[in-house]
Amino acid sequence: MANRRTYWPNHEEPVRGYADTAMEFPRLFALLLLVLEWTRPGLPSPLRPICDLRVLNHFIQEARDAEVAMKSCREGCSLTEAVSVPQTTVNFEDWEKKNAMAQAQEVQTGLWLLQQALGLLRTSMTDAELNGHIDTATRNLHSITAVLRTLNFPEYTPPASTAGLEGTWSASSAAELLQVHLNFLRGKVRLLLLDAQACQQDVS
Amino acid sequence: MTCDRLVRLAPLYLMLCAAGAAGIVQGAQDFKRKASILLKEEPKNPKCFAESKKDFVCFWEEDEERAGSVDQYSFTYAYQNEKNSTCPLEVLPSAGGKKLFVCHLNRVQMFVQLDVQVQREGVQIYNRSLLIELLFLLDPPKSVTVSTTGHQGQLNVSWVPPSLKYMDDSMIYEVLYAPADSDFGQVELIQACSEMILRGLEAGTMYQVQVRVNLDGITYDGYWSAWSDPVFTETLPAELDPLVVSLTVIVSFILVLLCLAMLLSHQRFLIKKLWPVIPTPDSKFQGLFTVYGGDFQEWLGQTSGSLWLTSPFILPEECPSPLEVLSEFNLCPPLSSPPLPPKASKALTRVRNEDGVMKKGLLGRESVDGVDSVQTNGWRTPLHDDWLLDRLREFQQHPVPTSQCSLLESQDAYISLTGNKQIEGEHMEDTLEETSPLGVLFASRKTTLSESHSDLGSVQQSSGCGNLSSQSSFEYPNHAWITRDPGYTYMAVADSGVSMDYSPMSRADDIGKVVIYANDYKNDVPPHRRPFLVRQYPVDDDD
Repeated sequence: MANRRTYWPNHEEPVRGYADTAMEFPRLFALLLLVLEWTRPGLPSPLRPICDLRVLNHFIQEARDAEVAMKSCREGCSLTEAVSVPQTTVNFEDWEKKNAMAQAQEVQTGLWLLQQALGLLRTSMTDAELNGHIDTATRNLHSITAVLRTLNFPEYTPPASTAGLEGTWSASSAAELLQVHLNFLRGKVRLLLLDAQACQQDVS
Repeated sequence: MTCDRLVRLAPLYLMLCAAGAAGIVQGAQDFKRKASILLKEEPKNPKCFAESKKDFVCFWEEDEERAGSVDQYSFTYAYQNEKNSTCPLEVLPSAGGKKLFVCHLNRVQMFVQLDVQVQREGVQIYNRSLLIELLFLLDPPKSVTVSTTGHQGQLNVSWVPPSLKYMDDSMIYEVLYAPADSDFGQVELIQACSEMILRGLEAGTMYQVQVRVNLDGITYDGYWSAWSDPVFTETLPAELDPLVVSLTVIVSFILVLLCLAMLLSHQRFLIKKLWPVIPTPDSKFQGLFTVYGGDFQEWLGQTSGSLWLTSPFILPEECPSPLEVLSEFNLCPPLSSPPLPPKASKALTRVRNEDGVMKKGLLGRESVDGVDSVQTNGWRTPLHDDWLLDRLREFQQHPVPTSQCSLLESQDAYISLTGNKQIEGEHMEDTLEETSPLGVLFASRKTTLSESHSDLGSVQQSSGCGNLSSQSSFEYPNHAWITRDPGYTYMAVADSGVSMDYSPMSRADDIGKVVIYANDYKNDVPPHRRPFLVRQYPVDDDD
């Protein structure tokens, strides 16, 4: 009885009857309830761990594309100043000796350093295509940080002064920066995600 | 003591040495195999590859004539942001009169650029910048096993991947499979999985399968490994696909139905062709098969014989001419008072046998008159030959007026050869007589005579003339006989009960000229019939 269906042969404006106007308020009220339910502030649900490495593989391929593009850059693609970049060297024996916490800290520090360096490079970059690569790389670094958060790694923010940090190099060119960026993703970041405890529990 | 110990341990040492030597030899062979791969694949010098996560090998090849000694060469390498290091060189002989200079790096760092330099006598000959994790050359997969799945044309291939941690999901494999006797095979690629199902294979065929491994190139990279040793396995033999079988059955069933439908629609035509109608003479012989059951003689008797008289199908026998029953004629002379001796029988019989209808006129009655010999003899004495003809002659010449022969009419004497007896006023019924097929009755003459008839006898005869069957007797007017055409042929029959005497057929004017034949009854006694009985019944006249 809520909706009265009337045949309108001439496609005229339907005449709103009493029933239609009477149902307006209940409709609005229902909609309001739904919205409030969705936006209800509550405890955040635990994030599902992202263990699929295909996401990282995608980031790595985009980083490789950026490095290749940067190699062909001649002008307007240089760093104004040297930036600190994480060391990408991986010795498997040494890496396995470190505990998970240390590994996570190392990776998170490196991600932070790279984000800083890419930010600097972005400001001095004039090439539009390269800027796009840099933006993609920056966005990917944020995503990786989010992925680490899902794997229950404690958030670690390195100290503000980056100088003198252990395990850092200095990069003076954009190409070198992007190469380091690529190697870092392929090496340490990947190893950390592979060995993540959260993913191991899911598998076993 | 120590000597004993040495003696005991010597074999152990020897074994260890042998094992070590074997291992070294094997290692050398493996290296040479890999080196040969790289020599084809890698254009740059020095050629470097990593076999595992922990070691790294670089080498280059030189002709023996141009190569100097090992000391002349130096191999230096430097990681990014690190100092140079030197690698000790080895020399290995190679095929084709060449030398290999080999450097093994112990400490390996990945994901960092490595710069390599080769100098000969202080002069740089080779320079290369590389990343170690991108130059993997792995051993071929081990323990390749091929087995059949439960399905047709499939094989299940499985192998053990190289044991490299963190790199399992970066490995890709190529499976090469081909029929054992074929040179061309197919390659299937699979990633990060150590087993595979090959489909679309021929049934009942021997296949050889090989596997090789490489890295996917995203994180790690390298060269394709050597092919593993071939494994031979035969696929399952061909089976009938149930779907194919069922479809075949359905289609054949439909075809059979179509053929049947066609055959039925052309049934008459086919039958005509395959089994042509054999012409039968039914149409020409009307009623022969339907009424008389094929009895040709009977059928002839019932139809007009004129058709067949000239037909060649007729048997060359004398066709029976129909005989008319002659009326009984009174052979009796005018009655007189003397006692009558037993009289001759007089009857009309009609005999029918199987061959046709023949009517006999049996005449009869003989009056006892003046024939002493007959009287005395009675029935058991055969009549003399001329007796019957004399009677006939007499009758013909002196036809008895009907009044005188009214005796006959009134008496109505017949011989019936069945159980049906008709006799006027005389009850001679006997159950025995009735059941007998032949009852010959002799009627007495109904007269004013007072003689007692001696026995005329009723002879019961078995039907052995089994052919003889009687019919109802009938009466012919006496005059009918007289008025016959002289052209007729006559036959006189006298039945004495013991024998029937026939005069030969003769024309009317010939009577008396021929001899009478006497034919005895031939009595065959059927088992179910009564035995031959001769009875004598006194016959009394009824007044």
